[in-house]
Amino acid sequence: MSSFKNASKSFQKSHKERHQPNARQHLGHLEKKKDYKERADDYNAKKIQLQYLQKKALDRNPDEFYYHMINAEVKDGIHLDKAKTVELTDEQIKLMQTQDKRYIAARHVMETRKVARLNETLQRLEEAPSNKHTFFVDDEKELKRFNLAKRLDTPASLLSRRYNRPRTADLTKTLLNVKDPATIEACSKLRGKGYKELQRRMERQQKLITLEKKMEIKKTLQNKKRTVKERIAPETKDAAPIYLFKQERCK
Amino acid sequence: MGRPGFGDRGGGGRGGGRGGGRGFGGDRGGGRGGFGSPGGRGRGGFGSPGGRGGGRGFGGRGGRGGGRGGPGGMKGGKNVIIEPHRHPGVFIARGKEDALVTRNMVPGESIYGEKRISVDGDDGTKIEYRVWNPFRSKLAAAILGGVDQIHMPPGSKVLYLGAASGTTVSHVSDVVGPEGLVYAVEFSHRSGRDLLNVAKKRTNIIPIIEDARHPHKYRMLVGMVDCVFADVAQPDQARIVALNSQYFLKNGGHFVISIKANCIDSTAEPEAVFAGEVKKLQSEKFKPQEQLTLEPYERDHAVVVGVYRPPPKTKA
Repeated sequence: MSSFKNASKSFQKSHKERHQPNARQHLGHLEKKKDYKERADDYNAKKIQLQYLQKKALDRNPDEFYYHMINAEVKDGIHLDKAKTVELTDEQIKLMQTQDKRYIAARHVMETRKVARLNETLQRLEEAPSNKHTFFVDDEKELKRFNLAKRLDTPASLLSRRYNRPRTADLTKTLLNVKDPATIEACSKLRGKGYKELQRRMERQQKLITLEKKMEIKKTLQNKKRTVKERIAPETKDAAPIYLFKQERCK
Repeated sequence: MGRPGFGDRGGGGRGGGRGGGRGFGGDRGGGRGGFGSPGGRGRGGFGSPGGRGGGRGFGGRGGRGGGRGGPGGMKGGKNVIIEPHRHPGVFIARGKEDALVTRNMVPGESIYGEKRISVDGDDGTKIEYRVWNPFRSKLAAAILGGVDQIHMPPGSKVLYLGAASGTTVSHVSDVVGPEGLVYAVEFSHRSGRDLLNVAKKRTNIIPIIEDARHPHKYRMLVGMVDCVFADVAQPDQARIVALNSQYFLKNGGHFVISIKANCIDSTAEPEAVFAGEVKKLQSEKFKPQEQLTLEPYERDHAVVVGVYRPPPKTKA
């Protein structure tokens, strides 16, 4: 029986879901069963959820109480715990601030060392140095004839490569240990990574310096014995404020 | 788990995410999802007893590995390219590093805490290079600045005035190699002590703790040299170099002098100071060939390279 059914299928016209005909294109995308299914499932899921929530609301116990109800609140639609106020004495605050400052200072030292360590091996060879190279010649005639590429005995195309300008005779020498281009590619990738890290660390170092300075000035301002004469520069995002203090005689 | 929810809130779904969602029923809520704590327990909400060996654990690298990129096993110098430099004996290492290096004559030893790079040689042996920091060495700064000549090929003899602790001297010793010689002169006993320690390991360094102003005191130690390198930072630097050259530098030999403008005359313009020094050198039968300032590594420094008592030009 089934073989007959299968055989008869070959005479059937196969119905494909058609797309929106050109003439009806203005009506937009034609929904397929797959799309419909997704939409319907979503609709039903939400319906069930809503029913469930409604039922829960009806079943609610009006005498229900948890402490969390009074310790939390909804702010701008976000349910948050209420902040607890912690009692701190002035001394405690001062101590905490100094410890914060010490922590920042320690991070700063760490970052500085790491930057120094990276700087040692990442020497920015590709960047042209800002130096001045002078050649001495014997007379005017030589000066007129002077040709940098000839003097340095290097191809003119390599002149800008300050860190290493091979002599023409040495151009046939290749890299010493690596021959395949894949490794060269990998190496340049690694190098890029290294420079990126250095860059990030330097930025972080700068941030820490600023933060440390800001904390320092804050502490100085809290000192009752120092009186501010004037503020020279305001605090900005990346600079501590500058104050002029009244000069006080040390006893 | 719970009821079907709106999108992301209702737990369920991907299991791994947040340690078992909001606790309907008996979740174990272990671990942090995908990271595979060692016991193989908590993969988020599923909490199958005895776990599945926890996430990643394909053995081998374990823990944090996998972040290096590229095919595995990038060890042993495959991640660095060594490029020969214009000046023989000097190299450029490019890989994770981007640095000037010299081939370490004493593998396994750092002199001043510099980084070492080990590379496989052609015959399977290890070759070690030491990073040469241009911020600490004026010679390195000059090389990276693109100086034409340093006149220290392998096998040459160099008189090094102002050796200090022997950091640059150690690199010069690498450059001239076992056939070459470096006479390192330093007056200060304190840094001289470090210099002696460097020389203990390197047979081609002859340390001389003596005032470079009195070359006759060490004339018995030093033979004729091919090149004088001076980094003495003294006002009478030109005279010191001239005295030593008279004793030890062969005719037609070369000099490389680092000049710190501040040490000669702190009030004059650096350019003027350099020009003055060059004049002084010329009067002492030195013929300067090039001069190079050392920015960005040093401020107001210059290196002058030239030839001593050049042979007269033959008319072509």
